[in-house]
Amino acid sequence: MDYFIIDYNVEGQNTLALEDSIMQKGRPITAGSKMLDNFIAPINATVVDKLSNEYKIAGKTVMDEFGIPSFFSGESDEISGAIKAVVDNAVSFSLCNDVFGKYRKQAADNKLCYIHPTYGTVSRYGLVPVASSMDQIGIVCKDMREGFKLLSLIAGNDEKDGAMFSEKSYSYDNNEQDLTLAIPDSVIRMADKNVQDAIGDFAKNFKTTSLDLEHFNVYKQVMYILSCAEISNNISRYDGVNFGYRTSNYTNIDELYTNSRTEGFGYHAKLTAIMGTMVLTENNYKTYYDKAMKLRRLIKDGVSFEGYDIIVLPCDIGKDPYDNLSLYSLANLAGLPSVSFSYKGQGIQLIANVRKESSLLTAWEVCMK
Amino acid sequence: MIDINRYQSMAKLSLSESERARISDHADILVKSFDELEKINVDNASPLISVLNESNILREDIPRKFTTREELLSYAPEQSDGYFQVPKTID
Repeated sequence: MDYFIIDYNVEGQNTLALEDSIMQKGRPITAGSKMLDNFIAPINATVVDKLSNEYKIAGKTVMDEFGIPSFFSGESDEISGAIKAVVDNAVSFSLCNDVFGKYRKQAADNKLCYIHPTYGTVSRYGLVPVASSMDQIGIVCKDMREGFKLLSLIAGNDEKDGAMFSEKSYSYDNNEQDLTLAIPDSVIRMADKNVQDAIGDFAKNFKTTSLDLEHFNVYKQVMYILSCAEISNNISRYDGVNFGYRTSNYTNIDELYTNSRTEGFGYHAKLTAIMGTMVLTENNYKTYYDKAMKLRRLIKDGVSFEGYDIIVLPCDIGKDPYDNLSLYSLANLAGLPSVSFSYKGQGIQLIANVRKESSLLTAWEVCMK
Repeated sequence: MIDINRYQSMAKLSLSESERARISDHADILVKSFDELEKINVDNASPLISVLNESNILREDIPRKFTTREELLSYAPEQSDGYFQVPKTID
């Protein structure tokens, strides 16, 4: 099967797939990289341990190397394994780490739902790290209610993940609240007319208010700079010494490092390592990395959720993938929960305040009745 | 244009000619997009390092077994006498 890197031949209800960045003890794990080709996971990810007997893991899905997609026009953008496995009914759910919005967009494009939980509510222990300040395991599902039921099982504090809220568990329910939607008009106008109409139609079910997303014009840059810095740092662990791929072509330690990494990493990991190194060097740190961290503060503080409960955004503004990255940056940069889904055939993304996932479920149920 | 040779050496990579050309093109697109940042004044903002408002959650420092030395070494590409094996690093 072209979406499973490993197929466990498990069938039935409540089956789920793990993106191949989530560890199962004793099973191979690659994170899409040759660098981990022969690596066997030494531990179970906490999310795997938390699954009850009700859910059965049916396989590991193919993924972009370390989850890094291409951001450039004209390069292939194939459907992700985690999405296709649910589209084809091979599984009911996929668990994956969506740093750059590819799963959020593809879920909506394929009439599925994606739940991106609040940062720090689902343990990342046993997840191959990508951009640590933004990594968060999310859920691909067909029905948002079923997705949130699964989320309530895997969410909750884990002492093995050092960046989490202290709550031991969460429940997500339709809270019957009268919700107010914030509409960032200038962003929505960038989308196709059909998308604008769908969002307008969706918003009729709620009170609305207009929202100016300050600094939206630099969301993608801030997101790229911070994530490439964190990724280049995280993938520095792959050096051919302790685990993973080792070149056979070396005569000294420097060649061992360099040739192992050159042969083991694919193109986008190399580009990210180069860009991350660039923004973190002494000459560029202030200009790029430090500035991006300060802008992250302004972006987070710019969404107060005072006078509104949910921000609505399109899933596509129709240009190249780098432009679309802007749409998925807010949730990651500010650690907010979001859902994406198809409404009247168009992709819609809803973002709520920290740990207000129930508002997202409520809004979805209001419109899907 | 960024100095690819400098950064590939720092990142412990040795790019082929074709990779270098492709990275150079893509890096130019990205760096050009970063120009937008120059227009924004961030003097009054502090860097946001973690989105979690909670302070660090610390647990008691009680030693416990994670796994065995043998198991950890079993993941190494090469090992010898209970150690990771690498080429000679000092003369």
